[in-house]
Amino acid sequence: MNKEQRVLRLSRELTGQWTLPILLALEERGGRFTPLQNKLNIAPSRLSANLKKMVEDGLLIHLSPAERRHPLLPEYVLTDKGRLYREAARAVHLSEQRIGHGRLSDKVWGLPILLTIGYDHTRFQEIRQTLEGITPRILSTRLQEYLEDGMIFRQIKDEPRPTFLYLMEKQVQRPIRQLSLDLASLV
Amino acid sequence: MYRSGVSIWYNVSNLERTLEFYSGKLGFEVIFHDPESGMAMVNTNTKDCVIGFSEAETVEPATSSTVFEVINIEEAMKQLEENGVSFIGEVEHIPGMAKLATFVDPDGHNLMLAETLVEL
Repeated sequence: MNKEQRVLRLSRELTGQWTLPILLALEERGGRFTPLQNKLNIAPSRLSANLKKMVEDGLLIHLSPAERRHPLLPEYVLTDKGRLYREAARAVHLSEQRIGHGRLSDKVWGLPILLTIGYDHTRFQEIRQTLEGITPRILSTRLQEYLEDGMIFRQIKDEPRPTFLYLMEKQVQRPIRQLSLDLASLV
Repeated sequence: MYRSGVSIWYNVSNLERTLEFYSGKLGFEVIFHDPESGMAMVNTNTKDCVIGFSEAETVEPATSSTVFEVINIEEAMKQLEENGVSFIGEVEHIPGMAKLATFVDPDGHNLMLAETLVEL
């Protein structure tokens, strides 16, 4: 797997309503359930389910009461992978702020599509082939949303046969380029 | 090397319920309470000896006992029972040492009253 594919995979793994906020709310070593719940204003069952998923994905270790030497120490400890994902989450958060269209990582395939365009895969079929597993329907939905939001634009290319190129507007291009560099430094 | 101070920390499942118990029923003063982080501390009957609580997702009842000294165990039990504390079993008598009464906090952490019979 080359660097580009690793970056795209990482960006895909950070997708989800809660993955990013939880990573951002965790402290250097990890965190406890109650402060996380209060910080995120999330239902306990939702938080539990998300933390469980992150444990399964190898981002967190859930310590048993016996393993915690002090009740103030984290109940969930970040693994090396988790710390790396926390850094990646910060980079994503920063780029979302710079782009200024709210959260992009909460939508399936949202960021990977932009990063793919940033890698100069600008035709529909190219984007589709780069992002393994994406359906034409979801790709077309996201592109339509980004067009409507003024984040990307279409350009007709006549050669070799007429086709659309999807290109990013300047205010999106720069943060996405930065994000791909930031993520590349982590994978 | 040491200075005066002992603290005991417990994981608890519901901080408000715990504080209601330790302050409302046992009469200890809450000296720190941060609902946001789920942490609190109470003073005990002993100077520089505090109990801390931290809310946790999973709580296992502590098996070690925190023992509070009282002047007269029967009187102390009566007073706490009036506050709604339930004791487990009878007063246990260790001849020449102490009289002990066992109770638990809302998470099942072991607590005791002790009336010392001889000064150590």
